Amino acid sequence: MARIRVLLPSVMAAVTQGELEFALDADSVALALATIARERPGIALHLFDESGGFRQHVLCFLNETNTRWLDNLDAPLQDGDTLLFMQAVSGG
Amino acid sequence: MGVVVIVGTAKGAFVLRSSNARQEWKVEGPLFKGWKVTAIARAADGTYLAGTASDVYGPAIQKSSNLRDWRQVEKSPQYPEGGKRKLNQIWSIVPNGKAHYAGVDEAGLFRSIDRGETWEPVTALNEHPTSGAWVPGAGGLCLHSIIVDPRSDRRIWCGISAVGVFRSDDGGETWHAKNEGVPVIVEDKEFKDIGFCVHAIAQDPKQLDTIYRQDHRGMFRSSDRGDRWQRIENGLPSGYGFPLALDPRTRALFSAPLESDEYRIPIEGRFAVYRSRDGGESWHPAAAGLPERNAYFAVLRRALAVDGLDPCGVYCGTTSGTIYASNNCGDRWQAIPCVLPRILTVAAFTEN
Repeated sequence: MARIRVLLPSVMAAVTQGELEFALDADSVALALATIARERPGIALHLFDESGGFRQHVLCFLNETNTRWLDNLDAPLQDGDTLLFMQAVSGG
Repeated sequence: MGVVVIVGTAKGAFVLRSSNARQEWKVEGPLFKGWKVTAIARAADGTYLAGTASDVYGPAIQKSSNLRDWRQVEKSPQYPEGGKRKLNQIWSIVPNGKAHYAGVDEAGLFRSIDRGETWEPVTALNEHPTSGAWVPGAGGLCLHSIIVDPRSDRRIWCGISAVGVFRSDDGGETWHAKNEGVPVIVEDKEFKDIGFCVHAIAQDPKQLDTIYRQDHRGMFRSSDRGDRWQRIENGLPSGYGFPLALDPRTRALFSAPLESDEYRIPIEGRFAVYRSRDGGESWHPAAAGLPERNAYFAVLRRALAVDGLDPCGVYCGTTSGTIYASNNCGDRWQAIPCVLPRILTVAAFTEN
């Protein structure tokens, strides 16, 4: 089991009582996301929609890699990895 | 003693405070910086509830006992995972004794029996036999207005755009469309009792069977709990508008007419609130101090509020970020010195 860091965008501080970073233990990206959904439903509400996947404009990076570029979310995690959530930058 | 006016905007909420004189205002905020604040309410125990939303991160309900420290509730309204419906916004929160209600986009009603901590869908309305034929208005497919009858919490009215008014007489177990007398706006091939674009509803605090309705197609009143509606536009320059506010003490009604659904701006650039002191029989401008020229904003359906004091304070938030306040039931207005983001909702409360 790897211990990773999860980083949230600063705008979410307003609805997470200021919590923008936390640690969790998971073997894969998929398990990390499932852990967030199970243990932190108040944060998961803002990351995932009714499809069960990411909200349309939410991006999730595993270190430097956009998780949407991964073949699947079973990518293994290592101690010290970072899952970074941010909003897609688009439009003017 | 004083008044607190909470202004929900496209980029956060602002708290405006004044003494009962309501002449000088202190502006605090933003709360929920960067988030839309789309609904505000205060429960009988003094707890404030706010609906927040982000185009990126979705909606939720927040609670506070002091307007400074907020906490997201344990389980905000949500549609089931894997279903067809998407929850985009909290439009209305109505705290009530035994149950709180929330109206949302995509149109639905949610109920909480633990003072807003967790919410469950009111399935009989959300899955109404007509729901497959519900269509959105320009503001989306939203359940924006809720009234719980003070005589019996088993009677509930809801306004859905562009569907119409529904009423339940059995605590939400069954619902019936109540739109007779109002012109249809999007006629359905099969269901002739939907396709009405209600913008706002209000219940007369003394004649409780009387419901007022600002509709896309005009201003209406029902004297029989919504069974039949009659047009009440004598004196209004236009039947078109969005908000409807009612002073619970004097029963004065307030509206903010706009020039037609094509334009949605003050008529000839002159913004006026209109007031009725006779239950909608006649309307008169209550506009002293409001801009008489070059005003091209709108007032959204949740952005006109009263504080219930004597005389009544009236608060009108515009899409251009100005909030106009009257401390004398609309006789004279002043612009509170701040320029806010687009104002989505306004709520006013007395404070001890």
